[in-house]
Amino acid sequence: MHVLGISCYYHDSAAALIRDGELVAAAEEERFTRVKHDTSFPKNAIEYCLKEAGISASELDYVSFYEKPFVKFERVISQHMQCFPRSYKTFLKSMPSWLRQKLRIQSTIRKTGFNGDILFVEHHMSHAAGSFLMSPFEKAAILTVDGVGEWSTTTYGVGEGTSIRLMKEIRFPHSLGLLYSTITAYLGFSVNNSEYKVMGLSAYGETDPEKNRYYRMLKEVVDIADDGSFFMDMDYFKYHYADRMPSDKLCALLGGEPRSPDSELKERHKDIAAAVQIITEEAMTKMITHLYNVTKCDNLVVGGGVALNSVFNGKILGSTPFKRVWIQPAAGDAGASIGVAAYSWFTLLGHKRSSYQKTAYLGPEYSREQVKEFLDSKGISYSEFKSKDELVEKTAKLIFEDNVVGWFQGRMEWGPRALGSRSILSNPCNPKMQEILNLKVKHREKFRPFAPVVTVEDAPTYFECDMPIPEPTDYMLMVYPIKRKWRERIPAVTHVDGSGRLQTVRREQNPMYYDVIRKFGALSGIPILINTSFNIRGEPIVCKPHDAYRCMMGTGIDCLAMSDFLIFRKDNPSHMWDSESTAKD
Amino acid sequence: MRCVWAFSEGFMEGFRGFGENMSALVNSILLSAVYLLGVGMTSLYMRLKGKKFLEMDKGKRGQSHWVELNLGGKGLDDHYKMF
Repeated sequence: MHVLGISCYYHDSAAALIRDGELVAAAEEERFTRVKHDTSFPKNAIEYCLKEAGISASELDYVSFYEKPFVKFERVISQHMQCFPRSYKTFLKSMPSWLRQKLRIQSTIRKTGFNGDILFVEHHMSHAAGSFLMSPFEKAAILTVDGVGEWSTTTYGVGEGTSIRLMKEIRFPHSLGLLYSTITAYLGFSVNNSEYKVMGLSAYGETDPEKNRYYRMLKEVVDIADDGSFFMDMDYFKYHYADRMPSDKLCALLGGEPRSPDSELKERHKDIAAAVQIITEEAMTKMITHLYNVTKCDNLVVGGGVALNSVFNGKILGSTPFKRVWIQPAAGDAGASIGVAAYSWFTLLGHKRSSYQKTAYLGPEYSREQVKEFLDSKGISYSEFKSKDELVEKTAKLIFEDNVVGWFQGRMEWGPRALGSRSILSNPCNPKMQEILNLKVKHREKFRPFAPVVTVEDAPTYFECDMPIPEPTDYMLMVYPIKRKWRERIPAVTHVDGSGRLQTVRREQNPMYYDVIRKFGALSGIPILINTSFNIRGEPIVCKPHDAYRCMMGTGIDCLAMSDFLIFRKDNPSHMWDSESTAKD
Repeated sequence: MRCVWAFSEGFMEGFRGFGENMSALVNSILLSAVYLLGVGMTSLYMRLKGKKFLEMDKGKRGQSHWVELNLGGKGLDDHYKMF
């Protein structure tokens, strides 16, 4: 039996397919359309999932959608009723898409050729299922935190076996996700895209709440109770009736108008970023502690977009009573497509759970023949390697010699992070590498750190991580301090506060990637690489061979290891272009 | 002949653009009417009756803000609905 899960129309449209309880394929639409955070109906992602399963849409047994559209519409109309007449402009702007698309999702799904039953599951239940039902836990406490679903912005509950019960909620407009997004907008970054930049920036600000005056200011805005529940003074926000998020009152409180994009980041911006991070961590810690007191369960799963806050995630086990944690790699709305499919299969259709999600390599892969055909058809110069071991040796050596290597191998990752299938790899020991990557390759803001990848066996040597190492580190969902004695040896991946958002790799997950790290370690004495996503700023992570080649030729990437082939940029001068002029958020 | 073809292509494109603009204008007028009469009248009536659509009163500092949800345990039949 096949169940297809779909999420779309807000941000990060995606599709996921479960066959007889096994997750067969999952992908975000943006990777195919090359439109970042694509909101449209994920027809390409669906097509890929069906192709991977070897079926057509008419052979699906169920299609499940990740929310209840009419309940969400009720909330939207309630906003307009509450805020009349201030919401006039947003009413005019949003109603056409509701009437043409969002309320007609059933007919859109039917156009794929599917004629069976369509199921609708509540938004936060989809998040809860995406984390709990795909986790290794038979029983777990569940917390979901995001911008907003239908009405809920935060829920908690418990899962056992295949059943999930969400006990309590916090309702719109009070939302930790929207608070973080409001500050993201205030700091001049794009919403639903750059919240992680604010997270990275926060380390540059005043992280002591006693000394951070913006923390005290934000405490006026958000009341956090002892049980972690929170209530926001909506005089400081406009998102419930306007296109803009911070109100004039919030701007006055924080000392001025929102920062314009690309203008200089000042100390106060860094302190504001730190303040919102402290507030978020405070609320989350209290919520999770309360959840433990209610459920008395040692296992925790977290879902929803706020679960991508890896700085906080690295503190969960150290600052709350929980002993184990699992987080869906695509914890945001994309991951809800897996959640709704899993909920339909296990909970609604009553099938038993026999395994869990052990990988994020769920996207398309390209065979040696397909890659060779692409390279030959474009007249691209390349070297061919007869064995994987030879390619691994050569790649490790190139990285050791300070080359920036594009790594395109195997199935594409699921979720927002590159995890060694569509990655850019380089030498973390070179103190200039962060600058080289930020300016020449990624065209990013200078303050943004790069992430290290290390084998799971070596991680405890270099990082102060929880032991045993939680599985979410495999998906770069946890930030840990780098041990002091190693920070100067790996400057390119050491953030200003000494932390790193590490990826741990187990050999059974990705043998070639694991071996490159080990071979580099043998050459340099440090078995750690820089792993950053294979894309230009403003574009999604690459999906096809063409995307990877184009990205290399438009940036400072020196070479591309794709399947059994190695392509050097300098050997193909006729295809070069400059991506810097088009790079944008 | 080429001139006629180019003219008719340009004409069709312009006509399409005009149609889209007219559609946007009509939609805006209709939606404005719905907003004023539907949303507006309902909103004003409900305000007179003291009904709130969003919980935004500031008086609850320090108290728990969790609200009962009790979601889960529903059967397959409940999930065929979009509400």
